[in-house]
Formats: sequence, structure tokens, C-alpha cells
Amino acid sequence: MLVIENLQARVDAEDGDGREILKGVSLEVPAGEVHAIMGPNGCGKSTLSYVLSGREGYEITGGSMRFAGEDLAEMEPEERAAAGVFLSFQYPVEIPGVPTLTFIKEALNAQKRLRGEEEVPAPAFMKLAREAAAQLGISNDMLKRPVNVGFSGGEKKRMEIFQALMLQPKFLILDETDSGLDIDALKVVADGVNALRNEERGMLVITHYQRLLDYLKPDVVHVMAAGRIQETGGPELAHKLEKEGYDKYAGEAA
Amino acid sequence: MTAALKLTDMETALIDQLPQDAPLRALLSEQGLPHRRVEDWKWTDLRTVVGKLPAEPGVLTFTISREPDAWAEQDEEPGLLMPRLASALGEDIQVYTLEDGERLELGVEATKGFAHQQVLILVPEGVKAELIENYAVEADGFANLTLVIVVMPGAELDRVIEQHASPDAALVVTSLIDLAPKARLNQTTLGFGAKLARLETHVSHAGEGAELQLDGAYVLDEGLHLDQTSLVRHEGPNGVTKELFKGAAIKGAKGVFQGKIHVEQAAQKTDAQMQHRGLLLDDKAEIDAKPELEIYADDVVCAHGNAFGALDEDALFYMRQRGLPETKARALLTQSFLAEPIERIRDDDDRERLMARLMATLEAL
Repeated sequence: MLVIENLQARVDAEDGDGREILKGVSLEVPAGEVHAIMGPNGCGKSTLSYVLSGREGYEITGGSMRFAGEDLAEMEPEERAAAGVFLSFQYPVEIPGVPTLTFIKEALNAQKRLRGEEEVPAPAFMKLAREAAAQLGISNDMLKRPVNVGFSGGEKKRMEIFQALMLQPKFLILDETDSGLDIDALKVVADGVNALRNEERGMLVITHYQRLLDYLKPDVVHVMAAGRIQETGGPELAHKLEKEGYDKYAGEAA
Repeated sequence: MTAALKLTDMETALIDQLPQDAPLRALLSEQGLPHRRVEDWKWTDLRTVVGKLPAEPGVLTFTISREPDAWAEQDEEPGLLMPRLASALGEDIQVYTLEDGERLELGVEATKGFAHQQVLILVPEGVKAELIENYAVEADGFANLTLVIVVMPGAELDRVIEQHASPDAALVVTSLIDLAPKARLNQTTLGFGAKLARLETHVSHAGEGAELQLDGAYVLDEGLHLDQTSLVRHEGPNGVTKELFKGAAIKGAKGVFQGKIHVEQAAQKTDAQMQHRGLLLDDKAEIDAKPELEIYADDVVCAHGNAFGALDEDALFYMRQRGLPETKARALLTQSFLAEPIERIRDDDDRERLMARLMATLEAL
């Protein structure tokens, strides 16, 4: 489903002298699987999520990234979204003046238009919203407020998963979704993510800690350091990392 | 000693239309039309722009919801040049006396060539009414209109003005407003600019419980210019003024906000607030702003603010990641920035109509 081969990317710098962050990342996430990427701060985890979703400010210098057979690098961010790539942001952005539900409805219908599908009728959309909100403990009031404005860190993360439930993407990238969550909120968010798990959907879970993975139970764990995948294994790798830390990979830095 | 002014064809044509003995004739010959070396017009060079337009008479078409109540003869009072020209060169002044609950719709379209007109709107004591204005000028047109509006004691006027984009034309609308004690005026302008457009509002604010809300939003596409200038003069105590202007400009567009609140010594306990916020949608967009407070009373609450910004790139990416096309994301963010003055319109239909017009324009930028 998601095939990344030897992906290299640099961050654009003001002085034109960009720094290479991804130095040859290769991994493959088949449909139905949840893969975790763990790694120390600054290893390139978040950069990978931005490069995959098409944020400006990064230059791909080598390798490839394909989603469902399509070259992501050739697609605009909104085209990637319509193809089914959803990024749950580490720091969800506040959008004053745009009510949350209005925003999600606009987004959903924009995706459907790009895919050549019928727009969703308002009653069906509202029903879906009520169910998803109930599942995540999101109040009606939160849905009426402007996107993420005045939300706590935990509320913002819940709202990201709410959006995923509403948009039903084919692939989720969760970037540090556990950061800023207390243990109760973590469980609610993890339950929301688990509800999205199915045979057709893939997930890439980027995290620094193993605690989210206790709930999500990934199929595969990758360790990233110095801009590359250093090791790949099963869920037991996360536990090993929790005990031993990332020190052994420090030496791999170029 | 000033060097003799070399008149433009437009100025010569206007002067030819004025009576031989009109003092205005000498004035226009000496000073010409307002230009960038006149302080109040420093960002809006009317003289240069209309100097390039055809110096021939044009036609003003009024689409009005009803006939005027009366026609008054032009007056020859000293004052601002553009209202004097509108009065002297226009037809007889249209006079409307609004009734309680009335909604007067005033649509003005101008063709190629120059055209002038003055309109007098009276809102009698205790009357609540609405005035809805629309301005559009065809290519090569130069329209100069003056509205004299008298809001009498205890009267309320909601005024909503739409100025349609007129890329190859010039428009000057000057509003001279008298706000009596306990009267209320809510004025909202949605402007899209012209080759040159100036919407100038002067309010004599009597205070004594009178309230003024003076709002405006503008969106300027490439090559369009809109100047919103206002002077509010608080003359009596206990007056309120709330002013909020928000606008966005893209490259090659020019927005101008000049706002002055003048508080006379007699106007104690005045509460006056003025805000302007500009959004530069491009590196090469231009918005010039000059907010001013001039206060001669010592017991007042007055404040003004002015700020500029650009669209939040993080928010743009976030919206696109959710599937919104870039144009739609930009339009939504810009709309949310500009919405506040429009949201303060009291009439639901007018508010929704202007908001829809705003969004349609933003999506087409």
C-alpha cells in the first residue's frame, strides 16, 4: 500500500543551504497492517510524515514514495488527502473563524469531488458526526467552535482522530499522537484509532515512546535514527527500546 | 508662488461645464483635482488616474426602490472639493425622506465618461430605516457622488454599501453625515476597488447618546485600488464610535485606510474605538493605513489599532492535508479574517448576501 524506497529529502533553508534529514528511508506498509516508527528526537520521524503528506519546505533529493501505486511526490497535498492519506498532526493547527463541522464537511466533500464521488448529504453527515463524537467524548460545543481554537492539547489530539473517523482515509500517519495526552485521554484516542483498523487500511504510527503502542499493538516496529531505518522487528522491539533506549543507534549517525 | 497648473483634459472639460462666475471654477483651475501631493489624497492620486480617462460626459443610471420625495437645487457651499463638484455638476439634488421601517435601495451605475450627482437622505426624528447602496462603474467611467445624510434625534439608520469591482474606472463617493443626539448609524461597506475608488465618510457626531458604528471590509484583486477615508468629529459629550475595517489585497492591488477621530473639548465622556487590520495575500500587495486620534477633551476613552499580517502557512497546509484545494483553503482563511465587520450587520439577509459575495470573490481570486 505504502512503499517507500531509499527516500532522501532535505529541508529548505533560508540561505539556500538545506540540510539533509532523510538519508535513504525504505519501508513498506501493506494494507491492513500497523507499522510503528520509533526513534530519538531529530531522527527525521516528523520530517517523514511531512514529506509523505506534501508539506512545503522539503526537497526530495532521491528515492521514491508510492501509495496505492501512485507517486506521491507528483501529487498536491489535497490530492494525497483525496487518495486517502491522512496525517494526524503532532501540533494540530488552530483555524479561527472556521467552525469545526463546517471545515470537516468542506474537506470531506472536496475529497469526494476530487475522487469523482457524490457529496455526502447533510443528514447523513450529521449522523456520522454524532456517532464519532460520542465515541471520542467530544461535545457538541466543541464541534461548533472554530477548528482547534481554545482546545487543550488532549482535545486537539482527540479532534484529529475525530476527523479521521469522519474522513475515513485509507491510510493514517499518526505523528506523535500520544504527546501531550494523559493516560485516560491516551486510551480514548487509542480506542478511536483501533476502531479505524481494518483489512483495507494501513497505518504508520510515529512515536517516541512505547506506551501508545501498548494499546495499538503494531504488526511491525521500525527504529529510525540519523535519517534511516536502522532496525525492523515485531512488537517486542518496542519493549526492548523502552528498556535500552536509543543509545546503541547513536553511533549510526553519519 | 506656485507654478501654474497644466490642466488635464478631464479638468478642462469639468471647468467648461461650470458657470463662468462659479468660485469653484477658479478653484479647480488653480488646484486641479486632488492628487498625491495633497495630504489627504497622498495614496490616492485621483488627478492622474482620471486624467487618462475620456474627458466627455457620461451617464449615471439610478436604480432606486422608489421615486425621490423632492428635488432640490444645487447649493454652492464651501467645503470639500469633490462634494462641491458633485453638487455643481450634477442634476438637481435628489431628496429622500425615509419613513419608519423603510428600506431604500439605491443602485448607481455609471457609463464611460464623467458623471456627478448629489443625493440628500433625511431620517426624521425617531424613524428607523435602512439604506442599501450599490455602486458600479463601467470601463472608462468617472463617477463622483455625494450623499448628504441627516440622522435626526433618536433616529436609526442601517446603511449597507456594496462597491463592485470596476477595473478600468474611477469612483468617488463622499458621505457627509450629521448624527444628531441619541441617533444611531450603523454603516458597513464591502468594497472591491476600481482603477481608483475612494469612499470617504465624514460624520458630525453630536454625542448625547448618539452611537456610530462605522465598519468596512475590502478585497482587492490585481490592479484594483480602494481608499476608505473617514473623519468622525465628536462635537458633544457622551458619544460612542466603534470603527472596524478589515481588508485583504493581492499583488498589484492597493488598499488605503485613513481614519481620523476628532474629539472636541465639549465632547467629554466620548467612547471611540477604531481598528484596521490588513491582510497581505502576496509579497507585492500594498495596504497603506493612517489611523489618527485627535483629542481635545480630557475625560474620554479612545483607542485605535492597526496591524498587518499574512495568511498562516501552517493553517493552509493543515487544510490542504484534509483535502481542501489550495484556492478554497486560502479563501476560507481570508474570509475568516475579513468576516467580523460583515458579521456586525444587523439585518440577516444583508449580512448573508454580503458574506456570500465576499466568499465568491475570494474563491475567484
